[in-house]
Amino acid sequence: MIRVLMLGWEFPPLFSGGLGIATFGIVKALSPKTRIRLIIPTAAALTKLNHVNITGFNHITAEELNFERLQFQFSSLPVETNQLPIRISPYHDINAEIVRTEWNDFQWLQTKKKVEIIHRLFVGTEVYGANIMHKVQLFTQLCEEIGSRNNFDIIHAHDWITFPAGVKIKAKTGKPLILHVHSLETDRAGVDVRNEIYALEKTAMEEADRIIVVSHYTKDQVVEHYQIDPARIVVVHNGIEPALTIRQRHRLNDKLVLFLGRLTHQKGPQFLLETAEKVCRVFPRVKFVVAGTGDQFIPLLETSAYRKLGSKFIFTGFLTKAKVNEALSMADVYFMPSVSEPFGLTALEAAQFGVPGVISSQSGVAEVLRGSLQADFWDTDKFANYIYALLRYKALAKEIAEKAKADLTQLTWGHAAKKILEIYSTLTEN
Amino acid sequence: MPSVCFYFQVHQPFRLKSYDCFKIGHDHFYEDEAKNKEILDRVATKCYLPANALLLHLIERYKGAFRISYSVSGTALEQMEKYRPDVLRSFQRLAETGCVEFLSETYYHSLSFLYSKDEFVRQVNAHRAKIAEHFHQVPTVFRNTELIYNNEIAAFVSGLGYSGIICEGLDTALGYRSPDFVYHPPFNPGIKCLLKNYKLSDDIAFRFSNRGWTEWPLTASKFAHWVHDIAGNGETINLFMDYETFGEHQWPETGIFGFVDHLPEEILKHPDFDFKTPSEVIRTYEARGEYDVHNLSSWADLERDLSAWLGNSLQQDAMERIYGLEKAVKETADINLIDTWAKLLTSDHFYYMSTKYWNDGDVHKYFSPYNTPYDAYINFMNVVTDLEYTVETALVRE
Repeated sequence: MIRVLMLGWEFPPLFSGGLGIATFGIVKALSPKTRIRLIIPTAAALTKLNHVNITGFNHITAEELNFERLQFQFSSLPVETNQLPIRISPYHDINAEIVRTEWNDFQWLQTKKKVEIIHRLFVGTEVYGANIMHKVQLFTQLCEEIGSRNNFDIIHAHDWITFPAGVKIKAKTGKPLILHVHSLETDRAGVDVRNEIYALEKTAMEEADRIIVVSHYTKDQVVEHYQIDPARIVVVHNGIEPALTIRQRHRLNDKLVLFLGRLTHQKGPQFLLETAEKVCRVFPRVKFVVAGTGDQFIPLLETSAYRKLGSKFIFTGFLTKAKVNEALSMADVYFMPSVSEPFGLTALEAAQFGVPGVISSQSGVAEVLRGSLQADFWDTDKFANYIYALLRYKALAKEIAEKAKADLTQLTWGHAAKKILEIYSTLTEN
Repeated sequence: MPSVCFYFQVHQPFRLKSYDCFKIGHDHFYEDEAKNKEILDRVATKCYLPANALLLHLIERYKGAFRISYSVSGTALEQMEKYRPDVLRSFQRLAETGCVEFLSETYYHSLSFLYSKDEFVRQVNAHRAKIAEHFHQVPTVFRNTELIYNNEIAAFVSGLGYSGIICEGLDTALGYRSPDFVYHPPFNPGIKCLLKNYKLSDDIAFRFSNRGWTEWPLTASKFAHWVHDIAGNGETINLFMDYETFGEHQWPETGIFGFVDHLPEEILKHPDFDFKTPSEVIRTYEARGEYDVHNLSSWADLERDLSAWLGNSLQQDAMERIYGLEKAVKETADINLIDTWAKLLTSDHFYYMSTKYWNDGDVHKYFSPYNTPYDAYINFMNVVTDLEYTVETALVRE
């Protein structure tokens, strides 16, 4: 069995987006056929998976780490960074003061105190947060220490927050490195972004032996915006865990169009608004349910009020998984107008609930979900026409929901794991 | 004395313009005039004009020994009148030779038989009038849209006075028997069935340019040889195909026109063989057996059924919706409105909505102006929604 050192960030029950769900799905599907050591910053006490050895730094013990070898050097990110003066990344809200004072004296502290500081940084429910860069630095160095024991065959790292750790471990051990791209800084912050996270992603991808991307769409982005050789990139589409779902009737007289996701520029809230305005012109008996929050919430709220669409929107704020499921069980249409969506797992969830989807062509899920209506994110006329059609023509909504359910049978984590195993064996053969 | 019987299908639908929900209630003109003209121009240049010229030339060369037939839909004729009278004129010149027969069909190339007998008869009559107007012939042989056929259709068409009907030669109905004889439907000797020899027809229509085919390249003499092999074992070899086979589906570079140019000569090398039009075949040969088809069949795809037009729920829904409007639209007695409605019955609109071979992106996609079957359905339904409003308004006004 291949021994995999898997580096993850989000992991159930702690996640803010698709990364945690995807990491879990992949690890679970791979677990019967590999021996996985999974390192994540924060592991819940309840998180257990057969055949998977999970390490969370939120309850690491002094015995698990060699503090002699652990030399903290905080300028040691494997990239040269140029801080941009404007904050254009959702992760970029860094408050450097929080932990810096402690770091400077870290190596002089007693082991017990050191462990305490590590726990303090990784405990809690905020997986990114204001001190994300310090978390990444500490994560990198802790992983590097664990990785130096060299008891694995391959390194598999998920998204930019774990990439520096992967690169460091590869440099130390010479083991092949796979970077798994679930999302790029160019998706999150726009294609023109050239901040430190972008630089980190680019340098790491240049070092990697293979880059797994979640869609052909993302592959194109990696080639175009990061100038990576396409020959080293492999597409492995995400899957979805089969689940029993129900449909509920809601008591409203209006049809419900559901938007699900962070309210950030990447998710296209302005196109949501434009589309909603157009749909209401031709189909007034409709409400747009917006589930999620983010820096675009206030602008969206204000603009919708200004355009006299306030009564057409229902803002729910952030929803728990149970509430999301409830919303999905009642929705008439799922709408995802993302500007750039590497995959878009929620579209598959909607499909699972039998909700027909109108989705952005600038998404990975558009490649695999034939049972959907797709338009360019800026084409709000087309979006509106599609939503109108789904609300108006029952046969269409039914046909698309059924087709999407048929698509789902092909979209399993087992399929994804099979492809990943192939990559593992190619890389470990030599 | 076996005969070779050619029938070519000529059809153009009135394609719809991009019609989104914002147009509903405001815009009552649905045709994509630019695209319809553009496609007619293209097909005229690549197929209709060169093929008509070649066939006219052959008819003249063989002084009556080479004979063919066409079925031209009413919508195609209307587009020729509107955009390309020169093409219409070239068909008329063929008609004037006396060696070319024009068959009867539904004016709008529709599946109306399945939904409304009244509308079916109305369309058949409209088409007869159009054929008489342009070609000075009264058709005696009927061909239903896409060779959609069963015993019931044959009986009904027989009741309209036709002596023959064009069919696909279904293996399931023929069993061990050959399609190369004239048949009649069970209990109905009044009408004869001409069955397409799909193997030989498709050798020309589909396989001609296929380099992976073991028989490639297909020459006129090789093909004539296959036809001659039927001598003693058949009376009529019915070669039925889309006219676009010549120059559009099979490009000129494949040598298709050279093939046609030499075919009569090669066929007629065998002294027992001749060419006949469908009505001549029916007059000449006795029916040799029963052709018994209960389920609706067609000449489309591998299944030879109706799944290309009615295979999914979108197609069925669209079809029911548009036929559901018949009574109301006819109550308006507005000729333009009825014509607009009937143009939406054309089978192509439903064919574009087929999800059957979506994965392969093959022939269905090739013929569709839409990116996806969903787009085809949505566009059509938006148009129907507007037409429903218009009809409603017209009736209220009365």
